[in-house]
Amino acid sequence: MASATTDRPSSSVRGLIAERGGDFSGYSFAFLDDMAKREIRRATLKAVAIPGHQVPFGSREMPIARGWGTGGLQLTLSLVGSEDRVKVIDQGDDASVNAVNLRRLVAQMTGAEETLDTAEATLIQTRHRIPEEVMRDDQILIFQVPIPEPLRFIERSVAVARGMHAEQDYSRMWLALYEDIVRRGEISAGAGYPVMVNSRFIMAPSPIPRWDIPKLNQADTLFLFGAGREKRIYAVPPHTDVRPLEFEDYAFKTEEFDGLACEVSGATDVYLVESPGENGTSRWTASDTNYADKVAAGIEVNKQW
Amino acid sequence: MVAEQTQVPEPSASSEPLLRVRDLTKIYESPGQRIVACEDVSFDVYPGEVLGIVGESGSGKSTVLQCLFQDVEATSGQAFLRSFEDGERSIFDADRRERRELRTHQMAMVYQNPRMGLNLMVTAGGNIAERLLAADWRRVDEIRDKASDYLSRTEVPVDRMDDFPAFFSGGMQQRVQIAKALANNPELVLLDELTTGLDVSVQAGVLDLVRDIQRIYGMTAVIVSHDLGVIRLLADRTLVMKDGHVVESGLTDQILEDPQHEYTQLLVNCVTN
Ligand SMILES: Nc1ncnc2c1ncn2[C@@H]1O[C@H](COP(=O)(O)OP(=O)(O)O)[C@@H](O)[C@H]1O
Ligand SMILES: [Mg+2]
Repeated sequence: MASATTDRPSSSVRGLIAERGGDFSGYSFAFLDDMAKREIRRATLKAVAIPGHQVPFGSREMPIARGWGTGGLQLTLSLVGSEDRVKVIDQGDDASVNAVNLRRLVAQMTGAEETLDTAEATLIQTRHRIPEEVMRDDQILIFQVPIPEPLRFIERSVAVARGMHAEQDYSRMWLALYEDIVRRGEISAGAGYPVMVNSRFIMAPSPIPRWDIPKLNQADTLFLFGAGREKRIYAVPPHTDVRPLEFEDYAFKTEEFDGLACEVSGATDVYLVESPGENGTSRWTASDTNYADKVAAGIEVNKQW
Repeated sequence: MVAEQTQVPEPSASSEPLLRVRDLTKIYESPGQRIVACEDVSFDVYPGEVLGIVGESGSGKSTVLQCLFQDVEATSGQAFLRSFEDGERSIFDADRRERRELRTHQMAMVYQNPRMGLNLMVTAGGNIAERLLAADWRRVDEIRDKASDYLSRTEVPVDRMDDFPAFFSGGMQQRVQIAKALANNPELVLLDELTTGLDVSVQAGVLDLVRDIQRIYGMTAVIVSHDLGVIRLLADRTLVMKDGHVVESGLTDQILEDPQHEYTQLLVNCVTN
């Protein structure tokens, strides 16, 4: 991206299209044509009906590259209406280039309002985080998923993995966790810790940190997961049991940031990320930028998921 | 009745066979070729008994075990396991999930080549853990206690538990495979040429081990070998197979002392002369 600064002044989708003499008028509402939206909604309904089960769908070509959130984007575009307020976060950050572009694209193709405020949003598309602020039953969280298959690391064949899900044949997954404990003294999976959904399917919660895993359990919000490259949609409906895989004597633990506080907001008990500070020091800030901004502004935020 | 003369640790259960095999047939068919690997094989196995199957290479012994463990699909015939649907439905009619249950809970197989029975990508303890995990064990300390128990039963040094069996000797691999087979107390253990791939120097040790395990824990097993010495040592009753057919069956001692079929006579004479 860095090389194109002089002859490509616009970083927004609208800017790029305008530059090339085009506009959005020839496109369907929300970019996808009606048949595509219907197909995605059907897959979504099926996913909601079978929590944690990966439903195949005909992933469309999108105006962004696969691997940059095309699965999440298709879910968002199939659901969004012009009355919605849309928020997009990339690792918790509303201001990353990718988040900004996705948010603008959705807004411009639908007339939906853009927002950074977690509480205000009706649809939130996310890469790798769940907001700290509790989401409600009138909101939907849409995850961008790179690898939807939690068994990928123990079984390369998609067909065999599907058979394992169908028969709830998960002993090899448990074996991998046992071996992990033998070798490393703990279950080492950090981001994307495998979970059991509704006591039936093992699911990859997209690579969210362990910190966010407990929020998936018995939430008020609908969670939708879209993997564009892998052409899979899955879901955790509201009030569904979602449990991290664990042994009775090696219990699941979230990340600890003992003693550290967010440098923007002073908040503790929040998922922190490290960035280089001045003079070789490190700077710890909440990865959820909207949460940090709200706390810094003295706004009270409910984070008891 | 043959069964009355065999060693039976639990007399109360002895009247009913643990496994009934009826007319088991496996035909390998490919264009221009039809191999009858085994045909109309029928037998019973009683609780606590070790049944031997002996015969020359290619006589269909391994095929019988592979059909029972459902590594291959029988062409026809039935097999009833006492614990599967009260022995009223053939295990060959099991669906995929039931078949997995049979293979991880009720039955176990020890292959001639340990690489077939072991997962070489996981530790020795992990190999045993796999069967316990399939049975919903969810405490690591209990799994490890049980794994070391099985490994010590099969005389694998417990301090090798967290090592990879890929680096073990053949004899040690075979011991781990036996430990794995015993994990989770399967009702029936199938053993295929368990010492054939091993150095002569370690064969006796493995055979003694299996015999001791059988004596102490009362394992019910079908053991296949081309070697009458193995059969003599381990089997209470024996089937003799030739060209896919059972040509003779009876108490092992009787078969060895007074073989009826001329093929058996040939086998026995080869060993004793
Ligand atoms: N997968 C197979 N395809 C074709 N023929 C086979 C296959 N497996 C075994 N056979 C044939 O079936 C017969 C019995 O083999 P097997 O059961 O391995 O005998 P044994 O264990 O007594 O040596 C042999 O003729 C063998 O060549
Ligand atoms: Mg054989």
